[in-house]
Amino acid sequence: MSTRRRRRNPGVAYSDVKGTLRDRTVDALRDPTLADNLRTAGDSWGAGREVMKRDFGFDQMRDRARDIRRSNIRNMPALLAELQSNVRANGGVVVRAADADEACRYITDLARARGARVVAKSKSMATEEIKLNEAMEHAGLEVVETDLGEWIIQLANEHPSHIIAPAVHLNRDQVAALFRDEAGTDDVPTDREGLVAHARVRLREKFAQAEIGISGVNLGVASTGTVCIVENEGNARLVTSQPRIHVAVMGMERVVADWDEAAHILQVLPMAAISQDAANYVSLITGPRREGETDGPEEFHLVIIDGGRGALRGSEFEEVLSCIRCGACLYSCPMWQNVGGQAYGSPYSGPIGAIITPLLEGPSSPGSRDLPFMSTLCGACGDACPVGIPLPDLLVRARARSSSPAKRKAGLAFRVWSLLWRRGVTYRLTMIGWRLGLRIRGRGGWVHRLPGPGSGWTKVRDMPSKWPPRR
Amino acid sequence: MVESLARRKATVEVASSGDAGRAAAGWMADQGIVRAVLADDPVVDAIGLEPALRAAGIDVLRWPVAMGRREVLGLEGPEDVCGVTVPTLAVAERGTLVLEASVGHGRGLDVTNRHHVSLLMADRVVETLGEALAQTFADGRPVPSAVSLVSGPSRSSDIEKISTLGAHGALTEHVVIITP
Repeated sequence: MSTRRRRRNPGVAYSDVKGTLRDRTVDALRDPTLADNLRTAGDSWGAGREVMKRDFGFDQMRDRARDIRRSNIRNMPALLAELQSNVRANGGVVVRAADADEACRYITDLARARGARVVAKSKSMATEEIKLNEAMEHAGLEVVETDLGEWIIQLANEHPSHIIAPAVHLNRDQVAALFRDEAGTDDVPTDREGLVAHARVRLREKFAQAEIGISGVNLGVASTGTVCIVENEGNARLVTSQPRIHVAVMGMERVVADWDEAAHILQVLPMAAISQDAANYVSLITGPRREGETDGPEEFHLVIIDGGRGALRGSEFEEVLSCIRCGACLYSCPMWQNVGGQAYGSPYSGPIGAIITPLLEGPSSPGSRDLPFMSTLCGACGDACPVGIPLPDLLVRARARSSSPAKRKAGLAFRVWSLLWRRGVTYRLTMIGWRLGLRIRGRGGWVHRLPGPGSGWTKVRDMPSKWPPRR
Repeated sequence: MVESLARRKATVEVASSGDAGRAAAGWMADQGIVRAVLADDPVVDAIGLEPALRAAGIDVLRWPVAMGRREVLGLEGPEDVCGVTVPTLAVAERGTLVLEASVGHGRGLDVTNRHHVSLLMADRVVETLGEALAQTFADGRPVPSAVSLVSGPSRSSDIEKISTLGAHGALTEHVVIITP
C-alpha cells in the first residue's frame, strides 16, 4: 500500500517527454522518415473519407450523431446512474473514479487481491490518459499491450502518435527491428503479412497466461448496462473472453441512452476513423459469464473515470465531451500531418488533444498550456469531426483560457505597442526612431540583421534601410 | 448480404438446408482443416454437418469443449482448427453477423480458431444494424452476456496503414447462407 501511495496523481500529458513543445515540433519537422509515414497515413484517410461521403451518406449520418451525443452529455448523470444499476443487475461491479489515482489504485488493488501477475490489455485511450500501465508495472505486474500498434509502441518504449493508429509513424522495417529484439532472434519476417502473423503467435502466449484482461469502452449503453468495444484485430475479443477477470475502463462521457443511439454511433465511428462502414469486431458485453457458460470472464468490473470531465458539463467547452475518439481530426489537421502525434506530448494529440489535454489538466499546466496554439485554425478538423464538435472555435477559446509565459509575454508586447500608437505624438516618435535605426544599421540600402522582435524578418529576407523604400 | 460479405473479405456460398452440411464440410476439407469446433445449436444438426465432417475425415468437437486455454488458443494441438458458429441475425447492409454467447455457443468460437465458418439461416438476415440490435436487446428478452458483431476476418492496419488480414482473430471467414 505504502509504495503506491507515493505515486503522485499524474497529469494527462506525459511527464517523460523531452524538450519544449517547440523543440519537439522542430525535431519532428526535420525527420524525413516521419514526414513520409505521416503523409501516407493522411492521404489514405482523405481518400477514404471521400468514399464514405459519396457511397455511404456520411454527411447525413453526422447530423444525427451530433444530436445523439449532445443529448447524451445533457443527460449524462441520469444515464450513468442507469448504466451503473444495469451493470450491477447483470452481476458486474461498477466503480466511479474521481481521478486517475483512484482508478489506478482500484485496478492494482484488484490485481493484488486476486494474485494476478500478467495483464493483457486491448487498446484504450482512457488507460493511456490515467497512466495505468505505469501504475500496474509499479505494482509488479507484467502488462502486455495486445493491439498490434500498441504492442509495437510498447516494444519501442514510445508513446502513441495517433488515437487509433498508435504506430502510424513507424514503417515495416522499423517494426521488424523491434520484433527481432523482442523475440531475441533474427528469424523474424520482414513483410507485413509475416510481421502480423509473428505478433499473433507471440501475443497468444500472453493471452494464455493473463489472469486479467483490461479493455477500454467505446460506448456504454445505459438501457441494458452493456459496454461496446470496437476493433478490427480481434485482440479485444481475446482480452474480454480468455482471462478470468475483465476490467473495462471508460471515460464517463461515453454513455448513450439506448440501442437505437448505439447502433447509429457504432456505424459512424468506423466510417470516421478508418473509412470502413463496419469495424471487424464489435463486442457487446453485459456483465460476466452466466451460469452454465464455459468461457468468458468470471468477474466483470467497469471503472468509470471522471478525471475532470464532469466539470466541463455546462461550460463553454461542453461539446468536447461529445468526442467518440475516432482520430479523424488528427488525420485532417495540417499540423498533425506534419509533426505527428508524439510532438504533442499527450496521449490525445491533434486538434481534440490540443483542446482536451489542457482542459483536463488545468490552464496553467506546463505540459499542455501551449497545445491550443498547435493549430493554423484552418477549419479542416471541424469538417472532419463525425459528431459536429466546433473544434476551430474551441481552439480559439482554449487559447483565450491558456496562461503560459510565452502568451503573457506576447500580450505585454501588444499592450505596449497599442499604448504607443494610440497617440499621434508617440506614434510619430516611434516612426522617427525606427527610420533612424534603419539608416544607422543599413549597408548599401539594406539592413541584413535586425535585433529583438525584428530578427524573425531578417532571418529570411533583408529590410530596406530607407522607409518607405524609394528608388 | 452476399455483396456486403464479399466487401468484408469473407467468402460466401448459398446452399439449401439439404446441401449445406456437405457444402460446409467440403469448404473445410479444401482449406486443410483437421478439426472443427461446433456450436451446440439446432441449425448444426438440421443441416447434418457432423456426419458430413466425419465423412470428410475432420475431427469434430461440440461446445462446450474440455480443452485447456493453450489448446483453445491454438498453442497446443492442431493448427488448422475451424470454429463453427450460428448467428442469431445478420445485417445485410454491412455484412455483419450477430453472434450471441450462450451455454452452447462459446464467445471465443469465432475468434480463437484459425478459421471461422458461420451457418446463417437466410430468414435471419435483416437490413440494418439498428434492426438487428433492436431485436437482440428487445425488452423482455434476456440480455445475452456477450454479443459479437463480426464483419469479416481479423485484420490490422497498424503497420503502414495498409490492411493486412489475420491479426488476432480468424484468418478466414466463410459464411454458408442456408435457404429452406
